[in-house]
Amino acid sequence: MAKIEFRHVSKRFGAVEVIPDMDLVIEDGEFAALLGPSGCGKSTSLFMLAGIYLPSGGELLFDGHLVNEVEARDRNVGIVFQSYALYPHMSVRDNILFPLRFKKTPRDEALARVKAAADLVRVTELLDRRPSELSGGQQQRVALARALVKKPQLLLLDEPLSNLDASLRLSMRTEIKSLHEQLGVTTVLVTHDQIEATTMADRIICMRAGRIEQVGTPDDLYLRPSSLFVAGFIGSPPINLVAGKAEGGTFTADGTRFPVVGASGEITVGLRPEHLRFGEAGFAGRITQIEPMGREILYVVETGMGAVRVLEQGSFVGHTIGEQVKVAFRPENSLVFETKRQKLIVGAHVRTPA
Amino acid sequence: MVTQAAPAMTMAPSEPEIDWDSLASRARLARRTRAVVLYAFLIAVSLPIILPYFWLVTIAFSARTGVAETAVLWRSMAVVVPVIVGFWLAAALARNRRQLWFGFAAVAAVAVVAFALLVGPDLHLGNFIFLWEPDFASVVRSRVGEVKGAVQFPNVWHAFGNSILIAGAQTAIVVTVASLAAYYLSRFQFPGRSSMLRSLLVLHAFPVLTLIVPMFLMLYWIGLLDTLFGVILVLVAFELPFAIFIMKGFFDAVPWDIEMSALTDGASRRQAFVSVVLPQVRNGILAVAVFTFIRGWEEYIFVFTFLIRNSNWTMSLYMYWVRDDVMGVDYGVVSAVGVFYLVPSLILYMAAQRYLMQMSVGGVKG
Ligand SMILES: Nc1ncnc2c1ncn2[C@@H]1O[C@H](COP(=O)(O)OP(=O)(O)OP(=O)(O)O)[C@@H](O)[C@H]1O
Ligand SMILES: [Mg+2]
Repeated sequence: MAKIEFRHVSKRFGAVEVIPDMDLVIEDGEFAALLGPSGCGKSTSLFMLAGIYLPSGGELLFDGHLVNEVEARDRNVGIVFQSYALYPHMSVRDNILFPLRFKKTPRDEALARVKAAADLVRVTELLDRRPSELSGGQQQRVALARALVKKPQLLLLDEPLSNLDASLRLSMRTEIKSLHEQLGVTTVLVTHDQIEATTMADRIICMRAGRIEQVGTPDDLYLRPSSLFVAGFIGSPPINLVAGKAEGGTFTADGTRFPVVGASGEITVGLRPEHLRFGEAGFAGRITQIEPMGREILYVVETGMGAVRVLEQGSFVGHTIGEQVKVAFRPENSLVFETKRQKLIVGAHVRTPA
Repeated sequence: MVTQAAPAMTMAPSEPEIDWDSLASRARLARRTRAVVLYAFLIAVSLPIILPYFWLVTIAFSARTGVAETAVLWRSMAVVVPVIVGFWLAAALARNRRQLWFGFAAVAAVAVVAFALLVGPDLHLGNFIFLWEPDFASVVRSRVGEVKGAVQFPNVWHAFGNSILIAGAQTAIVVTVASLAAYYLSRFQFPGRSSMLRSLLVLHAFPVLTLIVPMFLMLYWIGLLDTLFGVILVLVAFELPFAIFIMKGFFDAVPWDIEMSALTDGASRRQAFVSVVLPQVRNGILAVAVFTFIRGWEEYIFVFTFLIRNSNWTMSLYMYWVRDDVMGVDYGVVSAVGVFYLVPSLILYMAAQRYLMQMSVGGVKG
């Protein structure tokens, strides 16, 4: 097990600077998620940890030791690739055995460890098959077994669930998480799916264009997003963002006025759909779309400030398209950002208009 | 919309009844005609390809010294042409797998019987005298009363060995160098990479014959003229560019991931190449190997120019001199040498057919 540290790590591909300056600590035994949109440098960071890419600058430390120059094969890192990267010409057994081949593990012990790893991810019956004869979920488990069999000090998962169907994704989520609890190995998960990150990780590192936007627990990112980007990225359906101007305790957006405390000037207000509800008071709008989502119903409400999404609990559709409604929220659930710097203004709130 | 649909509805009953049966039989007839035309075309095209080889084999096993007789050829043709037509017909008419096999078996049985009756009595192995009699030229000539002037032939097995050596060594070198070079070209960025790739193709576009004089001078100065090694080097040089190009395609198709995965699994770059990447391009290596071997096996121009001593003769030179020396006396022996020369490439092609097919695909199979 290891504690991971990035100190001013940068990565350039030719003239393109993919990661300008990364500072990050991942504690021993932690389950961390690198979350960000496609192309933001998540895999690149992961590959630097694995030793596949050499950092262009800065220091990478495992347990306080500089590992920049340490070769991939000496790092004892288990990695599950997005494509699983199983060796197509080998049986599942040989695939899982492969990492032990280079460790000079005695044959008996190696086979026992393969068996144990296969049992752990429940692929014991598949040991004699070829990867091409496995389903996506089974391949994913085999890749996991191969990463775990060498007892890695660090487990890296590069979008391991993105090739699975929805229900399998759900069950693998729980399985990977319980596997982590069982083994306690420091784990870094890369994903662009915020639900994956929030459900599995202890801590989320939200990235944007090679920079870390915010590091925190899932709750931190949800309740106190430090920037507009994080607020927009975390939460599903996405947060409603209303830009306008605050002056003398009143926030005005396209003619709608909200009482505001703690902020003035150009601000953007974030209201999560699940924090909005229909009521007697509030800002007015007309329902234009209804999307039942099982346990919740999503309404799209056309207001003076544009379309606003409202999420109501329960499976009962109590409203109709075209209905005039008023939308309200609790002030502590509103998030206020500086429009220009895109940063959260801590302690500022807006209130439902009377 | 509604107003347009109404008249169509009212017109429907007045239309004539559709005769599904006649439509079906018309389609059936058209399909049959197409098949017949197709098969006729295939027969017409395949005959000129099959016949020369067939004649070569028939002559090799039936011609006799000093006798210019073609009757047996016509008789054998009288068997072969109907047999080919029979096979195509069986294939065209069979409605399922069993009928197909039954048809093939019937045609084959008839063919064997007819062949045994019409051609069988003329068959003999005498033309393969060169296999056990190195001085066969004198023997053959003495049969027709000529006693002098025969070329001193080396043992045919010696020429056979030389050919195997040239083709084999060339194949080993080309496959090894091409794999390594192609892997590097496929995986690493370095200055001049794209121009190198382009030049690989350009090199292949030159007619190699144009270089024969400079090559001769070069070999002469290096001191490799009239050595097998010299020829092997020349052949390797000419075969390499295309082999590298083909192999690069195969390496390009191997995903990066499995290589990176091998590296993190504790393999060195070399171990990853050998244990993970190479097995993915196995088919490519086999295809390149087979083509290179056959190219070396049939090589004629370079061996003719660069090899002089008859102990360095390859099969193609042997064939050339046999034709030069005994053709007028005994074309049966010439054909027999041809058959002997043909057999190894034939066996190789048939054994490797499955892999050669993949060359055009150039993909990785799981
Ligand atoms: N080998 C490379 N050469 C040049 N540019 C690269 C290379 N690898 C990645 N990049 C660039 O670096 C950026 C980040 O890539 P990376 O693969 O880390 O993204 P990612 O966050 O993993 O995205 P995704 O979610 O799509 O996998 C991308 O813009 C990509 O084009
Ligand atoms: Mg990625």
